[in-house]
Amino acid sequence: MSDAKKIVLAEDNSIFLLLLKFRLEKEGYKILTAVDGKEAIDLIEEHSPELILTDIMMPFISGLEVISHVRNKLNMKTPIIVFSSAGQEEIVLKAFDLGATDFMSKPLSPNELVIRVKRLLR
Amino acid sequence: MNTNYFLIDYFNESPSIIQVAWSISVVFFIIIIPLILYLKFLRGHLRKKERVTAELENDYESSLINYLYSGNEEEEISAEQQVIINQLKECIKDPFRRKILIGVLLKLKNEISGEIAESIHKLYFHTGLVNFALSRLKHEKWFVIAKGIRELKQFHVKEAHDEVIVHINHPRREVRKEMQLYMVNLFYFEGLDFLDVLETPLSEWDQIQLLEVLQRMENQNISNIKSWLNSSNDSVIIFALKLAKIYNQFEAKDELINLLHHINKKIRLESIHVLSYLNALEAKEILKNNIEERSPEEQIAFFKMMEDLYEQTDESFVVKYIHHEIFEIKVSTLKILKVLNRERFNLLKFESSEPKFLRIVNFIENN
Amino acid sequence: MGATTYQIILEIIHYLFFIYSIAAIGSYLVLAAISAVETVEYKRKNSFVNYKEIMSSNISPSISIIAPAYNESLNIVENVRSLLSNHYVNYDVIIVNDGSKDDSLEKLIEVYDLVQIDYLINEQIPTKPLRKGIYKSTNPAFEKLIIVDKENGGKSDALNMGLNISNSKYVACIDVDCLLLEDSLQKMIKPFLETTGRRVIAAGGVIRISNSCVVKDGKLHDVNFPKKLLEQGQILEYIRAFLLGRMAWSRLNGLLVISGAFGLFDKKIAIRVGGYDTKTVGEDMELVVRMRGHMEELKKKYKVAYIPDPLCWTEAPDNYKIFISQRNRWTRGTIETLRRHRKIGFNPKYKALGMLSYPYWFFFERLAPVIEVVGLFYFGILILFNFVRWDYSFAFITLAYLFTVFFSLIALITEELTYHQYKKKGTGFRLLRIAFLEPIVTHPFILYAAIRGNIDYYFNKKKKWGEMTRKGMTKA
Repeated sequence: MSDAKKIVLAEDNSIFLLLLKFRLEKEGYKILTAVDGKEAIDLIEEHSPELILTDIMMPFISGLEVISHVRNKLNMKTPIIVFSSAGQEEIVLKAFDLGATDFMSKPLSPNELVIRVKRLLR
Repeated sequence: MNTNYFLIDYFNESPSIIQVAWSISVVFFIIIIPLILYLKFLRGHLRKKERVTAELENDYESSLINYLYSGNEEEEISAEQQVIINQLKECIKDPFRRKILIGVLLKLKNEISGEIAESIHKLYFHTGLVNFALSRLKHEKWFVIAKGIRELKQFHVKEAHDEVIVHINHPRREVRKEMQLYMVNLFYFEGLDFLDVLETPLSEWDQIQLLEVLQRMENQNISNIKSWLNSSNDSVIIFALKLAKIYNQFEAKDELINLLHHINKKIRLESIHVLSYLNALEAKEILKNNIEERSPEEQIAFFKMMEDLYEQTDESFVVKYIHHEIFEIKVSTLKILKVLNRERFNLLKFESSEPKFLRIVNFIENN
Repeated sequence: MGATTYQIILEIIHYLFFIYSIAAIGSYLVLAAISAVETVEYKRKNSFVNYKEIMSSNISPSISIIAPAYNESLNIVENVRSLLSNHYVNYDVIIVNDGSKDDSLEKLIEVYDLVQIDYLINEQIPTKPLRKGIYKSTNPAFEKLIIVDKENGGKSDALNMGLNISNSKYVACIDVDCLLLEDSLQKMIKPFLETTGRRVIAAGGVIRISNSCVVKDGKLHDVNFPKKLLEQGQILEYIRAFLLGRMAWSRLNGLLVISGAFGLFDKKIAIRVGGYDTKTVGEDMELVVRMRGHMEELKKKYKVAYIPDPLCWTEAPDNYKIFISQRNRWTRGTIETLRRHRKIGFNPKYKALGMLSYPYWFFFERLAPVIEVVGLFYFGILILFNFVRWDYSFAFITLAYLFTVFFSLIALITEELTYHQYKKKGTGFRLLRIAFLEPIVTHPFILYAAIRGNIDYYFNKKKKWGEMTRKGMTKA
């Protein structure tokens, strides 16, 4: 278990966060959770995870800023999947410009998320 | 004792305004003390409520997660799940806890799709939460009904259709709006059938919300809007015009053209916008004939339409309006003239000395 | 005989004072009661609204935020960022740099990648000319931003320039240093869209005081109750005015003021009446009164709406000098507006506007400080001639004080029941304390400022006009 792959998961909806955490842990990943962008950045800097999952709309520091921090400040190539809500198409485009790897729009299916995570971490 | 007598004597001997002033002061003084205590209590109470809410939310969130992950393939509801359902059933007898649980369910439901979403939906029925919402529909207070409908909408309870539709012409706008949103969220374009019988005005705000829901749907096969374009309810016509534009309802062109002569100015104006968007050349010809008699707004919209639909033969018509007093009309006609006849456009700079006009000409020349 | 006539005159004066006080108290109580009803109704209605749904809508009507800026170099970049982060789709932000002498424009150009553009202005309201011109950003992330650089002409002139430039149906006129919450435009536009049967011509919002609050990246992170009594006193005053006063006036459709710090207007009507008046210091009130008068004259059904949610946060003066000069200006603005629209007052043709709002403002806002000072003079004379009945004076002072405290407590309770912004433990005691101290820590200064305002208005013409062009704009 010690070589479990680490994933940082940032999401301000506490129960959704919990649900995804359990689901991904069942697949054998080690999940580090953050409820806002600030915590996410701290976790990323400390643990250098293999994958980052982040919501776009979060208090304090948005998902966009997390991406920009990872790519430009930390110069990390870690894959990043962003979650967006309906009507945020413009923001998703910005996320890709900043270097997001993939996106999923809410409401999203946890099973589909697992498939995408597996593909990226293979 | 002596002081008391003294005060009473003093009071009785004072002129009546002083008596009144002292009496009111005493009244205020007596009210102020309980108010202070109430404020203290209220702040404490609110803080406590916030804390309890947070704790309960936490509890319910973990119960819900447990419930969702303790299902199995064989049974519809596993034994473990049944235990959780029973616990929750107890909790929701208390309205405060019920509200929090519903909040938690929705908080997750709005973010996910697939199996888990269905599972939450099932839980909503098994715990009996749905019955509380249904019983609200018959309540006498409008906001209770509205809340009931909203909840049924959020949990997609299609079975309540007949109980919800009875509120179609409810005197309170908020109830009507929830009813409409319920219909459209659950039955998509078919849900719009209420427009056939709607007697009350559909506000701009309601219209935007309905369109938002419709545009989010995967199924974009719109039903026939022609009958709504002929509605006796003006706000339904306006709404149908918006549908015509968003869903490119070229089939309804004849109805749209008829609306150019509608008695309501706003409808005439909107139909110009829609026809312009649909590039309906016939509309241009109709409007050209009596444009002078129309309102300034319609005139502006018409010339804006001309910017896209001009033909070579329109030149002499357009030229008549380049000195029109309305700024927007000047701009539109000059833009058209620039394309139709560049030489004539260029000459304008020498024909006029009016600075405001020249500014527009120069701007259009460069842009 | 001389003595009795004298006595009778004195009696009459006493009774007039007394009737005035009772009428003032009565009107406050009635307004508070109406507010309570209206607030309950508003909260109920709004518990249904899903603002998320209108947020992403591209069908929602366009809004321009117009923010005049004069020598705001220190915070302008941050302020603009905050304005750009509103959760509304169809809006733009027009910053009008009103002839600033600092490097505001240069800073904006650098941070937001601005370039000068060719822009055709429909000059419906005459204004001072452009200076360097109009700028837009080359970065698509800031496509909502328009910067206008013009010659100095004062706040009204800058707002008028914004009105000319805007292509939107609605305009939100704000102070550039205001912090707008992200859902403010959605909430403010709602009355315009949901009202059927009459036209909403303007909507005003609540102004909250941001002193001591934590603001980061243009967002409000944490609400704190400030330490200084002056700041606390103003918070109480604002809560009272907005929760108990304006809410009631909106119910009576009699709102005369929309705070200049945040108001949303139907642009067409604002332009049709000629935009902001450049010759007054009370331009925010004056425009609303003019727009209302215009609608009344056309006999059109209309409404000025009011949104009680705390959407706009602004820094209030934290020292007495600025505080007094602000109130002095407000007083002059009120006098000016009421004078200019004299014909509305007590004129049944203008219905509630003429028979209710105007008289209320005239008697209880405009005249209150004057009457209070006359009362003080009278009191002084009585002392001088040793006529004073200390027990009587004591009776009236007690009454006035207890009423103020009572009214403040009602306001605080309303605040707790509705928005509950000051949540922290221990703030309760300080809120209570300021309810008792406020009549001493702010009221005398407000009175002093109001009197100075009256004097400046009538006897100091230079100040009346001079301040406009020189200062441009001041806070709040």
